[in-house]
Amino acid sequence: MVIFTTLHVACEYRKILVARPGWGLLFICATLNSMKSIISIKNFAMTFGKTEVIKDLSFDVQRGETFGLLGSNGSGKTTTIRALLGIYIPTAGELLIDGKPYSVGGGVKLGYLPEERGLYKKESVIDTMVYFGQLKGLSRDEARQQSLAFLERVKLGDKAKTRLDKLSGGQQQKIQLGITVLGDPELLILDEPTKGFDPVNRRLLMDIIEDHQKRGATVVMITHQMEEVEQLCDRIILLKDGKARAYGTIAEVRKKFAGKSLDDIFVSVYGDENNEEADHA
Amino acid sequence: MHNLRTVMRFEIIRTLKKKAFWIMAFGFPVMISFIFGIVIMSNVSTEQAAKDLEKQKFSIQVTDDSHLIKSELLTAFGGTSATSKSAAIDAVKSGSLDAYFYYPANLTDGQIEVYAKDVGIFDNGRYTGVAKALLSASVESSVDANTKTIVRDSTKGKVITYRNGVEFDPAQQMILPGLFLVLFYLLIAFFGNQMLTSTTEEKENRVIEMLLTTVEARTLIIGKIYSLIILAMVQGMIIIVPAITGYFLFRDRLNLPDLDLSSLPVDPLRIAAAAVIFIASFLLFTGIMVAIGAAVPTAKEASGFIGIIMMLIFGPLYAVSLFISAPDSPLVRFLTLFPFTAPIPMLLRNAVGNLELWETLAGILILIVSAIVIMLIAVRIFRYGALEYTRKLSLREIFGRS
Repeated sequence: MVIFTTLHVACEYRKILVARPGWGLLFICATLNSMKSIISIKNFAMTFGKTEVIKDLSFDVQRGETFGLLGSNGSGKTTTIRALLGIYIPTAGELLIDGKPYSVGGGVKLGYLPEERGLYKKESVIDTMVYFGQLKGLSRDEARQQSLAFLERVKLGDKAKTRLDKLSGGQQQKIQLGITVLGDPELLILDEPTKGFDPVNRRLLMDIIEDHQKRGATVVMITHQMEEVEQLCDRIILLKDGKARAYGTIAEVRKKFAGKSLDDIFVSVYGDENNEEADHA
Repeated sequence: MHNLRTVMRFEIIRTLKKKAFWIMAFGFPVMISFIFGIVIMSNVSTEQAAKDLEKQKFSIQVTDDSHLIKSELLTAFGGTSATSKSAAIDAVKSGSLDAYFYYPANLTDGQIEVYAKDVGIFDNGRYTGVAKALLSASVESSVDANTKTIVRDSTKGKVITYRNGVEFDPAQQMILPGLFLVLFYLLIAFFGNQMLTSTTEEKENRVIEMLLTTVEARTLIIGKIYSLIILAMVQGMIIIVPAITGYFLFRDRLNLPDLDLSSLPVDPLRIAAAAVIFIASFLLFTGIMVAIGAAVPTAKEASGFIGIIMMLIFGPLYAVSLFISAPDSPLVRFLTLFPFTAPIPMLLRNAVGNLELWETLAGILILIVSAIVIMLIAVRIFRYGALEYTRKLSLREIFGRS
């Protein structure tokens, strides 16, 4: 497959270089850039009924980086992720993971923690984790081994055979995170991962995310916690009304907003909205 | 489809672990066993009561104006002839005589009069039993065996019918293909809810978003349908095995007809057709239930749809006589070939033997194509209705997406 792709790319370069030498250079740059990007979103638009939720959104996520997708409630963060993962069909645009639209078993090892938390409540912790592990391509033994190791790490080792509805909300959330990281994914997409966690468990979760960063995983985080963003993220995008209001490294974004903290930037971007609403009123 | 086995295994094991499945699975056989148990107990107690009656000895006097009672039988019953009706009644009243029976001259218009000492509401009936038994035994002793058989209405008839010059018994012929009709009815009645909740559960538990990024919707739905079929087979065995075992163990006690399996006609074509119709019908019904489950946010909200589907599928049962007596009528043809009503008419008419070959083939084709189309729609609904946790998906939303 790799050989075929390389040959194909080489042939395309040759054709373009012969026909239009200038275009060829641009094409090479674009291709190299897309090879570096694990997520590429171009001109994405999404409409529900008559409501335009996302308007011409473009950004990419580099392989191995931790990327923050920020914005207030209803700004289009979760919609973007759902469209990226094929749960929603985009109204317009191109959303690619590793150069192609996402499909289950399509090559990228994905770990996704959705905003809507839920599990098979009547099943035991270990049965549920092993099931998802197997769906991700692990053998039954591997899935069991990895699940038990995770449970030990999050201090739920004694709950392996407990039914999920017997666990607290926070414990269930840990299990869901465990399922997300099963199979050592190369791309982790976490939608508000620390929602509902106390400070101790939040620290534990951050450690787990950092571990995956160190192993070279790309992490996309949707969060409202600016402290987490500053601690973990390499680059961010700030959405408002389905449009990017800020995009780049944290330093670049802060520079653009006259050195303000991320908290202040967030407030100033959404504060404008409040002011606009007040003006309209 | 590489996750199909994983999905099936998970779905089957978790269903088998549910108490509700076993309660439902054994509910029918237990209920039937309970009813049969009552019948057996009733039969046993009746037999016992008759035996007890034979053993009971109490003083009887009889006045026989019918001249049917045999004196030797009266003696055997421990009775004597009364001198007068009034004296015997007085003796009963005084307690010196247990019972007095008066047989009138004309038994057609008159009635046997029984005067007896009270022995309680349940035991007072024994006097009438003895009076009737004495009369029957006396009458039977005076006639030959043939007359006795006629009087008891236990004469047997044998009918031999022919179709196309070959001996053909329609009642026996329909037993084996008809079993599929019974099985279909029982499985739908006992398994419909399981089919529905198999897809609503993921929505109600909010686990669907995580699932859809891990396994293809098509694999998940097909895995669920296959596992439902396997579970239905388990359910079917739970119904059939005790029924067959019970038949052979309790046939005599329940007075069930003696079925000679060796002489049961086997028409391989009709049995094969019944099996294919059964499978296609079951797939269609499963697909419909899965689709409805995928379209609604919770199982509770599916009741309206389920009612319509049940009416369509089981409604034709009300026209059973029409399917047998007027198989060529346009209504029967329509109900046979319209996919949502087809299962019962097809299975029934195939069992009866009036389903023509072209109807069999066309009906099976319609059922299979409909089942496939419904399943594809179920996948589509599941795929796009997955995140509709609080509202039903409209038809425009299901089919309007590219």
